[in-house]
Amino acid sequence: MLGLATGPVCLATCGPVVVPWMLVQPQGLRGHSRQLFLFLAARLAGYLVFACAVWLVGSAIPHALPQAWTGRSWLMGAVQVLLAGALVVYAAGWSHRRCVVAKTTGNLVQIGEAPVVKRSGALALGFLTGINLCPPFLVAGVRAAQLAHLSAALWFFFCFFAGTAVWFFPFLSLGFLKRTPAIVTVARMVAVLLACWYGFSGISILIERTFHG
Amino acid sequence: MASRSSALARPPAFRGVGRSILLTLPMALWSLLMFTPSFQHASGDHYIGAAAVILFMTGLFFLMMRTGETYRWRRIFFVALGFLFPVGFIAALVAERGTMSIPISRMVSGDTPFCFMVTPSIILPAAFARTVIFPGSILPTASNPHSIAIMIGLWFALTLVMGKAWCSYACFFGGIEEGFAALPKRRRLHRFITRFGAQLRLIPWAILVFVVLVSAAIFEPVYCMWLCPFKAVTEFPAVRNVETAIQMVVFIALFVGLVVVLPYLTKKRTQCGFFCPFGAFQSLFNKINLFEIRINREKCVDCGLCQTSCPTVALSKDSIREGKTLLNCMKCGACVDACKKDAAVWHLKGTPVAAKPERARLLFLYGTWALATMFGGSVLANGVHTLIGFLPLK
Repeated sequence: MLGLATGPVCLATCGPVVVPWMLVQPQGLRGHSRQLFLFLAARLAGYLVFACAVWLVGSAIPHALPQAWTGRSWLMGAVQVLLAGALVVYAAGWSHRRCVVAKTTGNLVQIGEAPVVKRSGALALGFLTGINLCPPFLVAGVRAAQLAHLSAALWFFFCFFAGTAVWFFPFLSLGFLKRTPAIVTVARMVAVLLACWYGFSGISILIERTFHG
Repeated sequence: MASRSSALARPPAFRGVGRSILLTLPMALWSLLMFTPSFQHASGDHYIGAAAVILFMTGLFFLMMRTGETYRWRRIFFVALGFLFPVGFIAALVAERGTMSIPISRMVSGDTPFCFMVTPSIILPAAFARTVIFPGSILPTASNPHSIAIMIGLWFALTLVMGKAWCSYACFFGGIEEGFAALPKRRRLHRFITRFGAQLRLIPWAILVFVVLVSAAIFEPVYCMWLCPFKAVTEFPAVRNVETAIQMVVFIALFVGLVVVLPYLTKKRTQCGFFCPFGAFQSLFNKINLFEIRINREKCVDCGLCQTSCPTVALSKDSIREGKTLLNCMKCGACVDACKKDAAVWHLKGTPVAAKPERARLLFLYGTWALATMFGGSVLANGVHTLIGFLPLK
């Protein structure tokens, strides 16, 4: 119920990562379904890892969730920096390999060129959004830390994931959008802008933590 | 010698004086609206400002009728709007607050004047969370008449009539860069813009998607907080810490780069064409707007003059071949005026191309100029009134 209720917030928080990633994929419902499935699977893995971590910390320090797991923490800063990197590599499609290919063939890297579909992209982005700290996620984390058994914490997070995952299915509609070079280019530009945003936000948090504790 | 004298000779007037006056008469009557109490406070200076604006707007419309040119006369109005808006706005801010920065207390009380630029960012949070992510009030208050409902209503009404022409006749920001773009005689970076025009005009769309997604994620109007170049000449969050200092640096850098330097170098409206997300959003309304500019393929000789003259790169070789402008055309009329073969024409959707282009232009101009007089005219009058206040007359 918590997942279902807080779904719109999860949607808004993960939307900036999912939308450009889906838009750089080739048109078609099947491919989009596969990418979304991989993304959600990796996100679930991130949830479960987080559930283990908060339960272990919660059992070691009862009735208190350390600051390391709350908003504007080291973890949040690091995750956002990693998200920025993943967006540049996967959604924007900038990789060293593409540059090498372009150099050897003597061609410029074409911005609107359709990218190579990579499973690792959906997995990396899914896992990183899975451990990214957003308000509903923190609420779930507090609850999981207070549970008596690890299995209960994992089950709680699995149910929370299932509730929020329902809200991600509308993203499949992006599969119907016609893929023109313009749309792919815009999606890549968005990915670069978002990478700048996450990078700036993450580095700000890390600097704040370093100098102000 | 003969060619020199023919080059110096004035082109024949498009329309006679009497007929031009007749066509201008409805607009002159409409512009008397500027004298109504809702537009003016009862002060002598305000009436002087209003009278000057009436003469200005009516005179420009007369010249449009007389010469058959649109772009040149519209540009005069638009540049005046761009430069007089900050004059009136900043003077009002300084008189009321003593500073251009927005105090936190004012944000908390929801008294920040609403800016139409935020419109695309507030849609998703309003739809999903029933929350308006702008520190303004929905309904007008005594201290803030520029409420969210009033500004969005006004924008929507104008957009239905104008479509993307909003960016050429109503937006009070674009005039500043159009002024700087008009200054130099020679255009530089022309090859760069021709080579990368297709990518450059996609940037506003990318910024639009970015702004909408991130605003919904963090519940803040991201464009206002970080990306608006015009914060440098209107109002901005007070600089209190490193974050607000970075914001201020970004605002000034964007303003100097996109509104002053690049328009001067390229003679293009670089902020409007290659940055503004609201402009991209506004392009969508071109789809439902009745007026457009078309290229008559029977007359077109593919000289490329229309493409070169377009201030926002809204024409490409392919689009000219198809006889159309691109979605981001803001109907400024530059291509129509530049075309020596009369191939670029105003067009009313649903009618044959080039059947009655002047009728389409008149229909477009009556609606658009009337709204420009109502919306921009009050801004101009306020700016003129402010300038009169600076004169040592009393």
